[in-house]
Amino acid sequence: MSAALPSRLAALTRLRCSIFQTSYNPAGIRTGAKYLRARLRGPSVVKYYPQELNLAEIARKYPELEIVDEIEEQRLIDVEEKKKRGKGAPKKAKTKADSRRINRKR
Amino acid sequence: MAMGKNIRVLRDIKARHGVQANEVARRAYLFVARNETLPPQVRHQAQLQLNSFGKYTRPTTVKNRCTETGRGRGIISEFGLCRFQFRLKALRGELNGVQKASW
Repeated sequence: MSAALPSRLAALTRLRCSIFQTSYNPAGIRTGAKYLRARLRGPSVVKYYPQELNLAEIARKYPELEIVDEIEEQRLIDVEEKKKRGKGAPKKAKTKADSRRINRKR
Repeated sequence: MAMGKNIRVLRDIKARHGVQANEVARRAYLFVARNETLPPQVRHQAQLQLNSFGKYTRPTTVKNRCTETGRGRGIISEFGLCRFQFRLKALRGELNGVQKASW
């Protein structure tokens, strides 16, 4: 059995490419085709966490329904109550010195 | 069934939406940047464009976290649960086809 000539093998590859509609790339040059060939992952990536009902989101989307989120309302009332008793959140620090614990007024 | 939506989960959701929104553009730039048949200047420009994308548009910033608790480690990817939630659910019989091994 005689070995096939390289030129004959190349011709065979070229013919095969034309038949199966693949690009003839004997030198194996990177064409970046794999980035176009790969499927888009975005749709499945977004679906990872299960969707759940969110009252605040629905209320924001449809303001005409006038949904009242009772838990949120109660929370806001509680915050106001705390502020009245001087138990609110501290003021945001304006300078770097403010954010240091020692300099803060009690 | 309330999921612990802590900040890490919210950040991951943000990243997932960013990845989806920018995926096609990123792919196009990747194709140009990795294509050796194109002139080097063009490829370089494409690479610079790729670098200018935000942090939450890269697929590698997406991390599969536990869908119940938001834990980032010990996730059994088939169920999207961390190992402890997986055990709890499996023992409660909420995972189809999962049985405690015994022999």
